[in-house]
Amino acid sequence: MSAIKEKFNQISPSEFFYSNRDLAGFSNPTRSLYTAVREFVENALDACDQKGILPDVHLTIKAVDPDKPDPKPYILTVKDNGPGIDAEHIPLAFGTVLYGSKFGLKQARGMFGLGATMAILYGQITTNKPVIVKSSSDGKIQNQFEILLDIQKNKPVIVKHTTKEVAKTGLTVSICLEGDYSKAGNKIRDYVYETSLITPYASITFDDPKEQKFAHPRFVKEIPPPPTIIRPHPHGIDVERIRRMIVESQFEIPTIDDTMIEKVRKDLGLSVKKLSFTSIMDKAKKKWKNLPRQVRVVIALMSFLKMDFEKLNKIQIEDIDMPNKKLFYWDFGDSQSKSVDMDPQSEYYKQLTNTVQGEPLTTFLTKRFQRIGPTTAVKFAEFAKFKPEKRMGTLTNQELVNLSDALQKFEDFMAPDSSCLAPLGAEPLEKGIKKFFNPDFVAVVQRPASAYSGFPFIIEMGIAYGGDIKSGGPHVYRYANRIPLLYDEGSDVVLKVVNDTDWGRYKVKGEPPFIIVSHICSTRIPYKTAGKENVADRQEIERELRLALQFLSRKLSSFMSKRGQAEMAKKRANLYAKYIPMIAEFCTELSGKKKEPNYKKMLQTEIASENKKALTEENEIESK
Amino acid sequence: MKASKKEKENKIKARSKKADDKQKTILEMLKSHGAKIYDDLDNGQFPKFSIPSRSVSNIVYDKKLRQYILGNNAALRSSRNSAQLRSFTQLMWLAFFANRLTNERKSSTLRDVYYSSQAFAVEFEDQSESDNIIVDLEAVTSRAREDFHIFPEERSSIFGDLNIEYTIPGYEGKTMNLANHPDGYSIGPSLTTAELVDTSAEIVIAIEKGGLFTRFVEEQVDKKFKSIIINTGGQAPRSTRTLLKRLHDEMKLPVICLTDGDVYGEHIAMVIKSGSANAAHLRELTVPDAKWVGVWATDIEKYKLPTIPMTESDIKRCYDLQKDPRYQDGIWKKELDVFLKLKRKAELEAFSKYGLTNITDKYLPQKLELAKSL
Repeated sequence: MSAIKEKFNQISPSEFFYSNRDLAGFSNPTRSLYTAVREFVENALDACDQKGILPDVHLTIKAVDPDKPDPKPYILTVKDNGPGIDAEHIPLAFGTVLYGSKFGLKQARGMFGLGATMAILYGQITTNKPVIVKSSSDGKIQNQFEILLDIQKNKPVIVKHTTKEVAKTGLTVSICLEGDYSKAGNKIRDYVYETSLITPYASITFDDPKEQKFAHPRFVKEIPPPPTIIRPHPHGIDVERIRRMIVESQFEIPTIDDTMIEKVRKDLGLSVKKLSFTSIMDKAKKKWKNLPRQVRVVIALMSFLKMDFEKLNKIQIEDIDMPNKKLFYWDFGDSQSKSVDMDPQSEYYKQLTNTVQGEPLTTFLTKRFQRIGPTTAVKFAEFAKFKPEKRMGTLTNQELVNLSDALQKFEDFMAPDSSCLAPLGAEPLEKGIKKFFNPDFVAVVQRPASAYSGFPFIIEMGIAYGGDIKSGGPHVYRYANRIPLLYDEGSDVVLKVVNDTDWGRYKVKGEPPFIIVSHICSTRIPYKTAGKENVADRQEIERELRLALQFLSRKLSSFMSKRGQAEMAKKRANLYAKYIPMIAEFCTELSGKKKEPNYKKMLQTEIASENKKALTEENEIESK
Repeated sequence: MKASKKEKENKIKARSKKADDKQKTILEMLKSHGAKIYDDLDNGQFPKFSIPSRSVSNIVYDKKLRQYILGNNAALRSSRNSAQLRSFTQLMWLAFFANRLTNERKSSTLRDVYYSSQAFAVEFEDQSESDNIIVDLEAVTSRAREDFHIFPEERSSIFGDLNIEYTIPGYEGKTMNLANHPDGYSIGPSLTTAELVDTSAEIVIAIEKGGLFTRFVEEQVDKKFKSIIINTGGQAPRSTRTLLKRLHDEMKLPVICLTDGDVYGEHIAMVIKSGSANAAHLRELTVPDAKWVGVWATDIEKYKLPTIPMTESDIKRCYDLQKDPRYQDGIWKKELDVFLKLKRKAELEAFSKYGLTNITDKYLPQKLELAKSL
């Protein structure tokens, strides 16, 4: 039996995505063109949102050779008036996978700016052309880069870099990629159209390869309040995340070299003067509050070593053994390892403990998570069977898992903070629906914030009837974090809720001209697939959707019954006019009379009265 | 000779007067309904009338009459109600049309009615809608549609020594012996309205199937057993049931039914005897003394008949009929239970296994004998 040697190679993120590109929506030329459009448009809108700029986004798709049959290379360009990106970040931002600025916890369209890099990667794979980035972050100088991606090394290769003077900030990204516009065109136009409905404060234009122009001007002048970045909620967290947070909260023992000593001197305000150990300590005590953490740690070490700066220069810290309260160091002068005891009662001892063993559990909870106060933290510790003062750095793997489980199970945490969410708002949504559909009836609702698994979310929904809306409804426009969802609607939770509704109960019958706009805002949308096109049916989300839809349906129902009454009155008038004369005719012959009965006056009065009823109901609808 | 001729003329006169009287009654009744509507309109009101409810809850079995009848629930039909206005107009038109038919002594079929409406801009969605309005007219007037000269498509026939005399226009006084044509006579408007003059028959045999009807004529069942043979063509049409009733009431003839040996056959006999829930608004359609003589479930074993298995729907029908008040006792209940036990059925033709004439030579005589004791 011969030994088989398996070779394990580390692959770069670029390579990983290259071989798994269909995961990110780049499975074929049709889908890829559409996904690329989405990624760049969404990045542009996100960038503007972050800086509170009213977005002007221009999308252009041009065939490299218009006469070639699809699929063929297209040049896709998205230009915005956002804040731009500083020149030094551009190569990394556009030339590496997993480089992004969207790692904070708040609602945004994309998560990490991953998709744009994927699009660039896909373009390069299919056409071997560089991405062209033009950016101005100061409104004066525009940097223009042509960048290729070194897939194996996950590194940008700058092909060309020039600058020129401009008058405005903004970013323009242009890639060449293989696409199929004849197949993707419909979806892309729908995407642009639906995006402008949920982004009424943006102006979006689209020049398509067939030289058609689609312009969606801005019709709301106020940008919705931007979301704030917040700390995570304990329910939305796992072991790995806790581990990272502990590492962040711990502090490395600083290397005590010349630079560090110089820094300590400066922070203590001891410029040149030589000072004894005791006077350094005195000085430090006075200035303690204003000292940075690094300096505090050095002072704490000095307090146990009882050394001044000169002596400190001749040693190197080897180990801080908190359990045995001993500090080990190497003395260069004597060329041997020495140790001192640390007094656990000392203030400095606590400082070192924090550094070496991390924060106590309660501090960790109140400082690193949203909406946890000291009382809750202590209650939680009791629930999780940890000592409140348990140091985070001393947790074993098993304890970490226990902690993570307990965080999930503890029910007395407050609901997640929803300030990280950015719903569009009921008023702009209503304006958008009115402008797009000119409906006879519209109602919108924004539900209060709710949460699933520690992630806050808000449902906004609108319903509209009649006007320019096509019959055969309800047509459902699905949005998540201001992105229209166009594919895979069959398995979506919104569709499920809509389809479960018995519209007959709300007096909506037949094939009504009727639309529903649903917007789910969350720091994390529970998509069913990586393609981000359908939302999974989380119980909490489904419930909120149901409540929103019921609220709106009841409003629609009262409109329909008013409208129904108006229609009925009109219908009655017509029916009377049609049938009563026939009855008169038949009964005249049947009863053997010569002359028709005297009914015309009665009929006219009744018809007039019904028509008046219809008018009154209609006016009432109008005034609402 | 002269006297007998005169006597005959008088008879004809009397009969035609009888027909005239009936026509007059019908016309008067229609007129009075029409006048009520006319008066409402003339007084500046939306006309309305009441109609017995035909919903299941208002259909009850009357033990005395031995048939289903409508209860006391009635619904108001108002022309003011826009949901009823259309059917109100349709019914008005139908009364108007029936009035013309009766007046002119013209007959029409259900399908004719559906098409005739179009000449008056009265819309019927389909024939079932117009059929339904016809039932409404029957319910309001308590008269069968045949009284208004509206007939279903004929599919039943009659054969045997029975003299009749037509009353329809153009045939008044003309007589006919119904044994003259071996294919039988179809039971249509002229036969239903004809006077039954005389007969030598002593019994009426209603048989479910056309094939057996032909065999019975061929085998001269009419002569051998002094009978009138009627082919019901499955479930007996109302005109046939009317004729059966008249043969029983006017000619004092007992009626027996011979059907397939299955639950549907049993029920064909039951409908002849006591009517259907669908016609609960009408009387004069039943022969409460009619007897079902076969093919019984118990005959299947007794005569060793070839059988076929019952279908799901046959079995379901059995369970349904077990709840019917008419199937709670006697032969009706007994045979139904046996059908359910056997879960098999036998057709009339099954007797052919023992020779084509077995049914007329052996089975029928035994059953006729048995009928006397039923």
